[in-house]
Amino acid sequence: MRTGRKILVVFAIFSLLLMLNLPKALAANAKYDAAGLPDMSDFDPSNPIIPTGDTIKIAIVASFSGPAAIVGEIYFISVQWAAHDINKRGGILVDGKRKKIQVIRADTQSKPAVAKKVCERMILKEHVNVLWGTNGSHIMKVINQVAKKYGVIAQCAAALSDELYDARNFTRYSFMTSFQTNQIGRAAAYYYGQIRKKEKKFYILCQDYLFGHSMAEGFKEGLKLYYPQAQLVGEDYHKLFLTDFAPYLTKIKASGAEVVYTGDWIPDAANLLVQARQAGIKLPFANIFLDEPNFLHKVGVEGTKGLLNISQFGAPNPLFKNDLQIKFYKAWNDLWKTKWKAPFNTYLFKHPLGNIGSYMFQTYWLLSVIERAGSLDPEKIIKQWEGDSYEYISGKVMTMRPVDHKAIQDLHAFEYVPPAEQKQSFNIPPYSYFTGCSNTGPISTIPAEKIMPKLDPKLKR
Amino acid sequence: MDSTTAMYVAQGIHGLAYGMILFLVASGLTMIFGMMGILNLAHAAFFMLSAYFSYQALAMTGNYWIALLAAPLATAVVGVLVERFLLRKVHAFGHVGELLLTVGVSLVILDAVKAFWGTESLYVDLPESLKGLIHVGGLEYPVYRLFVIGLALVVLFIMAFLLYRTRLGMVVRAAVSDADMVNALGINVPLVFMLVFGIGTWMAGVAGVAIAPILTVFPGLADQMGMDAFLVVVTGGFGSLSGAFIISLVFGELSSYGVQFISALAPVLMFVLMAIILVIKPTGLFGERE
Repeated sequence: MRTGRKILVVFAIFSLLLMLNLPKALAANAKYDAAGLPDMSDFDPSNPIIPTGDTIKIAIVASFSGPAAIVGEIYFISVQWAAHDINKRGGILVDGKRKKIQVIRADTQSKPAVAKKVCERMILKEHVNVLWGTNGSHIMKVINQVAKKYGVIAQCAAALSDELYDARNFTRYSFMTSFQTNQIGRAAAYYYGQIRKKEKKFYILCQDYLFGHSMAEGFKEGLKLYYPQAQLVGEDYHKLFLTDFAPYLTKIKASGAEVVYTGDWIPDAANLLVQARQAGIKLPFANIFLDEPNFLHKVGVEGTKGLLNISQFGAPNPLFKNDLQIKFYKAWNDLWKTKWKAPFNTYLFKHPLGNIGSYMFQTYWLLSVIERAGSLDPEKIIKQWEGDSYEYISGKVMTMRPVDHKAIQDLHAFEYVPPAEQKQSFNIPPYSYFTGCSNTGPISTIPAEKIMPKLDPKLKR
Repeated sequence: MDSTTAMYVAQGIHGLAYGMILFLVASGLTMIFGMMGILNLAHAAFFMLSAYFSYQALAMTGNYWIALLAAPLATAVVGVLVERFLLRKVHAFGHVGELLLTVGVSLVILDAVKAFWGTESLYVDLPESLKGLIHVGGLEYPVYRLFVIGLALVVLFIMAFLLYRTRLGMVVRAAVSDADMVNALGINVPLVFMLVFGIGTWMAGVAGVAIAPILTVFPGLADQMGMDAFLVVVTGGFGSLSGAFIISLVFGELSSYGVQFISALAPVLMFVLMAIILVIKPTGLFGERE
């Protein structure tokens, strides 16, 4: 066959695949090897097996003390699970040597000054290879600054502010694998305007600081783009850790709103919903933090029905599409049922899904990048990660935008339904996520191209 | 009534309910200061401790009413022990020692609740009899919030009765006025002060149980409520129960109608009022001691 004809045939095949909407599994550079999942029965977050010697060190920079200490533990179990999995497979071959993953808790006490000190200690004394963070964009900003100063890789898996990667704050050493504030707001608006097409009157109630305002801005932008017929009937910003939501709820009730969009995190989000239900307000709340199961149980089945959760660990229904996914799920859930002790034995840790699933698979992506870079040299990791794509066990594909290191991804809108209706999503026994509260039923995909991460035009690379 | 009027009336009752909760927290704080001259910086921690006690009592008995009785009592016992074995020993060394000690006590309580209950948010259910709404003339209002208003009024009445209509109250007031003289008359003044501290922490305990079904019980609860209560005491006047009562209600209404009419400024209205009152009367609205 002549060269020209060969090129033509290849081009034709490629075009055909594009037309057939090339499956994302094929689009990813790498994917989680679910078939290789080792025996995880010795995994115990309270007594983790810590490898010694020459290891790949990941510092989880987070709150491990103070009121937010549980957040650090959520990160820890997620990252440690991924590390344990990879370690049992023999570790990762880097710079000609097979190394295991060591996870280190680095307590910020939720204070930027402490975060700076602990990050520097992690780099200079513990010689960590990755700073993994964290709750609070103000703390993540500190992590990124330290990462830049010492030339160490940072992964932003949990902070959500777009500003962290704008022209002023961007550092090529840091990668944002979490979703972002503006994107979340646009995703919620897209869901109501382009998918659900039902409610038209919205009320925004967010916390009165940068995060709350960014979440609100995203939603307003999204409404303009995807739901111009929608009406914003009210917009308020309340102080953090507010005690009494009743005055806001009375305003919301009087406004005729059909949906309340809130960027609040717990405890504010929980107090808002609890007080709303106590006041007889049954409106749906669209949010990303109203998924904490202990709290959902307190509100009960009726009170949590109709909530909308925008998730970064979603995939179209049903949840389990093959045996490997079931095997992975059961490896976690069986341990939760039989082995783990406080604080890892509550509803919060029942499923390796939601935020836990997301943190876990963001870590798998990091480890996959290191493995494929074949080195712990930050420059090689940066080169590998920029433009990289990775497929989670759920089939969700993440792509790292090279220019600003923000992850491009589909998001998913979870509509909460009573336990009896959760089978459409949770399709293995017991056919519901929880019996004491509403949870995920219908799932809608918000395509990545509709909610691309914000790119600061001033960022020149 | 029409929906707009119902909204304004509801906001008024919200203000009253929040004001009453504020009063429950602030009254114990101001009473301890007024009677004993101790600025108890652990007061909000006692409030939080009681919320945890109520969670525990409810988990063990499933009965809110038992929790309402037991949790404040347990909190008061802790308060009495703190006064007897810690505060009394540093009382002779002045206010700085007491301040530092109460800060220390609050930190110990914070760590203790984390050790016993962890750092997760805990939730306390409303009792069945207090669930639901009351419907009056087009207004729907949660029963529990009305209960909180009633509870605070009962506590206020009990305190006023104890202090101003009983011999015990007379002794307490006399001990505050001239401890040496009361001591010389054969009355055990340290015991009186221990009792006052116990009652003050009991009041914080009642507030803790009252708030638990409305708010998440978590280790940050003390900070969430403590600052507002402190503002009430400063503005109402250190040591003045009536000042705490009036300012609590004013703050409650400011908060409620502030959200309704000038939402963006609602969080600062309390501070503005405090500043105005302190400029005019530095000891607070009804305060006599600085």
